[in-house]
Amino acid sequence: MDDLKEIGAVWRGETTRALKTGRVVVLLVLFLLFVGLALMGVGLLANQVVAGAMKTAPGVDAEQVKQGLMAAKKQFLMQFFTDDERLADSLAALPLVLLVVFKLTLRFVPLLIALMGFDQVAGEVGPKSIRYLIVRVRRSSIIFGKFLSQATIFTLLLTVCTLVMVLVSKILNPEFSAGDMTVWTLKLVGSSVVLALAYLSLTALCSAVVRQGAVALVLNIIGLFVIWFLALVGEYFRFPGEAVAGQLDLIRADSWAAYLRYASVWHFGQDLLHPGWARFASAALVHLGFAALFLGLAQLALKRRDL
Amino acid sequence: MSGVAIELKDVSKHFGEKRAVDHVTFDVLEGQCYGLIGPNGAGKTTTFSMMCGFLFPTSGKLKVLGVNPSDPGVLKGKVGVLPQDAILPPMWPVGALLTYLGELSGLPSPQTEARAVLERVQLPETWAVQCGALSHGMGKRVAMAQALMGSPPVVFLDEPTAGLDPKIAASVRALIRELKGQHTVVVSSHNLQELEELCDATAILDKGRLVSAATMAEMTGATAEFRVQVASGAVPLSEVKALSGCRDAKVEANNVLCVHFDGQGVKPEEIITRVVKLLAERNVLILGVWRGKRLEEKVLQLT
Repeated sequence: MDDLKEIGAVWRGETTRALKTGRVVVLLVLFLLFVGLALMGVGLLANQVVAGAMKTAPGVDAEQVKQGLMAAKKQFLMQFFTDDERLADSLAALPLVLLVVFKLTLRFVPLLIALMGFDQVAGEVGPKSIRYLIVRVRRSSIIFGKFLSQATIFTLLLTVCTLVMVLVSKILNPEFSAGDMTVWTLKLVGSSVVLALAYLSLTALCSAVVRQGAVALVLNIIGLFVIWFLALVGEYFRFPGEAVAGQLDLIRADSWAAYLRYASVWHFGQDLLHPGWARFASAALVHLGFAALFLGLAQLALKRRDL
Repeated sequence: MSGVAIELKDVSKHFGEKRAVDHVTFDVLEGQCYGLIGPNGAGKTTTFSMMCGFLFPTSGKLKVLGVNPSDPGVLKGKVGVLPQDAILPPMWPVGALLTYLGELSGLPSPQTEARAVLERVQLPETWAVQCGALSHGMGKRVAMAQALMGSPPVVFLDEPTAGLDPKIAASVRALIRELKGQHTVVVSSHNLQELEELCDATAILDKGRLVSAATMAEMTGATAEFRVQVASGAVPLSEVKALSGCRDAKVEANNVLCVHFDGQGVKPEEIITRVVKLLAERNVLILGVWRGKRLEEKVLQLT
């Protein structure tokens, strides 16, 4: 019980402090600029594609064009996002602009998290201000409290940005209904928060093992590249053509290198939007597992360190 | 209060090959004001940091109020610490920071306590000031304030007056004097005059090793010698030596008469009065009298 009280106290204090500093505003502006830029670029491109389709088929009615565009969208999704037909079907219901911008944003999320929290612990160890804390609370409470604070701030940032994305998509795609908007906003925010937990804890780990914030940031970026690299190598060696929905990925590998993708949390990110509960739940559990692993290591590192 | 508050037994701390603290043993009694003395690199701050749970000892046994300070959460509410070189988080307003730290300590009314300790260090006007905007002296006093929050039984102060102007340093010393008796206070400092004035007992460290640990009276030889600063006149050395209870007497540099006496057999006030009376009778003018050897001399002799 004392542990929870301590964690709660650290969480409240750190969140209040963070919200009062300029960094959150800068990150929000950065995030919104990125989203705005992506929305403009992708929106423009999507409009050109639709206009082009209408022009090239003057005799065809709007419904047929719409169906053609939907088929093209699905093909695009199968080509670039997933080889899972159910997932592609589900994602095809989203306006293309929202889907592409959201996916681009997810690529940006781990970096944003690193920028937001690289010095959460290292920034207190270097100037030794952590000494004011460790005579009062357990070292583990510092790690968990700060992690929760980062997660809270990130959720706020992400919710604002997702709302902007959804609203702009609604403006660009009037047929995107209010009900769908609500459901997809919740889905997108929920899935990206679950996805972010693993990266938030990776940032906490990097910040807990070094003394300088700058070194923690470099370490974090290296960590992200390792995660992306493992996912990419694993994907490259993956045996093609056996994309059976719901089937275990393990049996689709023909090379030991293909298994590398399971060491990367990035590999499981896609399933967080899967319409099948089993796929979603397993992906969420994997993310929570990686988060627990990184946080456990962070806790262990801080617990054993001279401060 | 007479139990042991802090116990170090054979405590060592190595940083790689370097032995920062090497088999140090001493006890601090409850209610004592205890000084940690030594030249730069002697291991004072390392010893201090181990007692506060910042550093883990490489070997040996260390207990603060009966618990191992390295164990998680055991010092909560039991110790207050003024670390030497820990920077206050610059973006926090002083009041908010102290309230936050009070909350972490589990105090029932952290804000009230924060205001009270700021009053105590005479800085109530800094409540809304960001820590980064404080002067060095103010920052030190705010750091002192956080150490006193919740009136912990043990207070650790690392160089509490370093870098302070004389007036502020005097007010900090007055604050430490207030703590004596009610709290166990450990002070690490280079200012030996200050420690001599404040501390009941002290440990002298040099190159990581304990050179001496004793009460201040034992350390300065207060029970066995005193000095007289002579302004003018010839000191009748043989007559002084012949006084009852006097073991030896000599005139040191700067016309200081040093008298050794039997600390067990004669009361200091008796022998001092006898010597002063004799000097007055022989028309020797006196500027001052003080008991014991100055701590500074003792430290210079030992390190």
